[in-house]
Amino acid sequence: MAAIFPSPEWLNGLDEKLNGDKKYSQIARNWEGELCILVEAGGPLKEPMIFYLDLWHGKCRKAEIIPELGSLKPAFLLTASFENITKILKGELDPMQAMMTRKLRVQGSMAYMMRNVPTVLDFVRCAREVTTEILS
Amino acid sequence: MQPILKVNLTTGETTKYEIPQEWERDYMGGASLAARLLYSHLRADLDPVSPEAPLLFLNGPLSGTAGPTVGRFVVCGKSPATGLWAESNCGGFWGPELRFCGYDGLWITGKAERPVYLLLIGGRLEVRDAGAVWGRDTYESQEIIKSEIGVPNTHVLTIGPAGENGVLFAGLFCDHGRTAGRTGLGAVAGSKNLKAIAVKGTQKIPLARPEVFASLRGESNRALKADNVSQVTHELGTAGVADYADYLGSMPKKYYHQGAMANVDRVSGATMAETILTGVSACHACVIACGRVVNLGDGVKRKGPEYETVVGFGPNLLNDNLEEIVRLNEICDRYGMDTISASNTVGLAYHLFEMGVIGEAEVGFPLLWGDTAAAGRLLELMGSRAGIGDIMANGSRRFAARFGVEEEAVQVNGLEVAYHDPRGVSGMALVYATSPRGACHNKSDYFFVDWGQADTSLGMEYFEARAGAEKAANVARHQDWRSLCDSLVMCLFGNVPGETVAGLVNAACGYDFGVDDLLRCGERGWTLKRVINNRLGLTRANDKLPKALLEPLDDGPVAGYVPPLEEMLVAYYAARGWDPVTGRPAQATLLRLGLEDVAKDLWG
Repeated sequence: MAAIFPSPEWLNGLDEKLNGDKKYSQIARNWEGELCILVEAGGPLKEPMIFYLDLWHGKCRKAEIIPELGSLKPAFLLTASFENITKILKGELDPMQAMMTRKLRVQGSMAYMMRNVPTVLDFVRCAREVTTEILS
Repeated sequence: MQPILKVNLTTGETTKYEIPQEWERDYMGGASLAARLLYSHLRADLDPVSPEAPLLFLNGPLSGTAGPTVGRFVVCGKSPATGLWAESNCGGFWGPELRFCGYDGLWITGKAERPVYLLLIGGRLEVRDAGAVWGRDTYESQEIIKSEIGVPNTHVLTIGPAGENGVLFAGLFCDHGRTAGRTGLGAVAGSKNLKAIAVKGTQKIPLARPEVFASLRGESNRALKADNVSQVTHELGTAGVADYADYLGSMPKKYYHQGAMANVDRVSGATMAETILTGVSACHACVIACGRVVNLGDGVKRKGPEYETVVGFGPNLLNDNLEEIVRLNEICDRYGMDTISASNTVGLAYHLFEMGVIGEAEVGFPLLWGDTAAAGRLLELMGSRAGIGDIMANGSRRFAARFGVEEEAVQVNGLEVAYHDPRGVSGMALVYATSPRGACHNKSDYFFVDWGQADTSLGMEYFEARAGAEKAANVARHQDWRSLCDSLVMCLFGNVPGETVAGLVNAACGYDFGVDDLLRCGERGWTLKRVINNRLGLTRANDKLPKALLEPLDDGPVAGYVPPLEEMLVAYYAARGWDPVTGRPAQATLLRLGLEDVAKDLWG
């Protein structure tokens, strides 16, 4: 399912993709942890948006848009501007380049992240494949 | 900047040398300024271990200011390993402490009659007998000298037995295990009977605009601490990148001859953090603290290895035991040897043993991949120049040549290749081939760019990890930036934006430089080092890679690939404005950089 980023439909599409993609299922088979993506307000996005994904052994157990983090402490919180996150989704910005050049901030266990870079990269591939249009 | 203290160990004479202001502005400090200062002294006929050979310790304009990752100094001269330009920078607290003494550098020549150490307290220099520490290892020597001086917070830079014995990859060590490891300058110090230099100062470092600097320093340190790369390096040490390096195929294994290894994840920064790590250590005012403190279960606090050491004594030898890597690292530290060159030369010995070029008759015991006890024995032999270690102590090129197989040594111009395989990150092909000090990964850590650290604020572009000639200009630009960092002297692990660095330099020095001005300073330093090497005999033919790196691997993520070095070099010379036939910087390039005297020397 394809949809405009960012929207509930886009998140549903990503949820379905993660649960149906064989490659992701294989690469992320050892991943355990919730992931939140915080898209900062900017451009056409008037308010920040937070996507919550419960990722577990190559599947997505839950995906939803949450209004705020509150007391939630996800294993990883990725934060980026609307501009940079859309560049990543459009394939104009490499996700590792974004992480290493201050365009995508990562909070969480760096040991776990560095051990699981292939999972992160394949997660981005899935997200790119369900993104057909960007909010303008 | 503050003056340099010149010391002649033969005569005991000392003089204060004021650095010409235009050189400060054009070269900043550190390695580039050292190149300018030593340019006329580094002749082709100069024996690097002769009394007249210079050994120049230099800070940069930011050293010791508590700015982001600027607690470093550099030591420069002529390398006994390569016969070319030598530089090696080092963290810890020694460099800042030298600045607190009122000097930005020490320029050593001559040879003492007997082993000595220098004591610089405040502005006063004393030459002391080092008989009690000659023969002692670097850890012991630091403690004995500090105890003898008895002044709290004195910092000692010392050589170990390897430097005394003229091991061509001997380094200088301070603050326990902080190291100026590469290019063999510990052997130069040893040749002068100079065991150590102890410093303790109290002066403030001069800043042109102190209030502006203080504000920028705070902001930039806070930003640096929050940076992703800093987080990885703080939590996992520099070996935190091991898993990713392995994934991309840029981590060498089995002396660069194997692409994959079982259980390689047992030797990484992440594994260290989850098993033996008990603490971290930092250089002067550093907010990252990449240093590792580990415990192997015996209650002793030990230095944990950084990335190069982890790979050099790990996958390079097909060893997956992290604790053994810690032990081998400590042997190198105590003897005072560079772990990259030492582990590379050990790997070569295993490789030659497997080939049948050397056997038990030459070595005295078998060398089987994964056997770390044998590696430890080789290190002891090298450090003490005993048995086959006497040959290996001359570095991998001479070691292999001694047995008629020089081409098997994975080195460039006499400096052993570090552990970033250009078959996984192709930019390193150009970096190794054109570095001013041989196969160095720090004159441009382009593997970071190939992994994604392509900072657009520096004008960098991002190319695929295994792209070819199209990335040549990008490599040159990154080398210029790192050349600037080496002149400041700034740690490569500080992921600080170019504009921030420019702001700090301007506030410290009273300049009004932009990022492009800094890049030009970097290019000027890089080019001058190239000319120094040209005058020492380096030609276009020296810009090459060893055989192993130009042969495809059979397995692993980059099986079948070799970087197109020749095409990359052609594009590189064009980007640099260097003559494609001789490999020398063109006259127009030298004049563009304001190097008129150098252009005249090179081109007439």
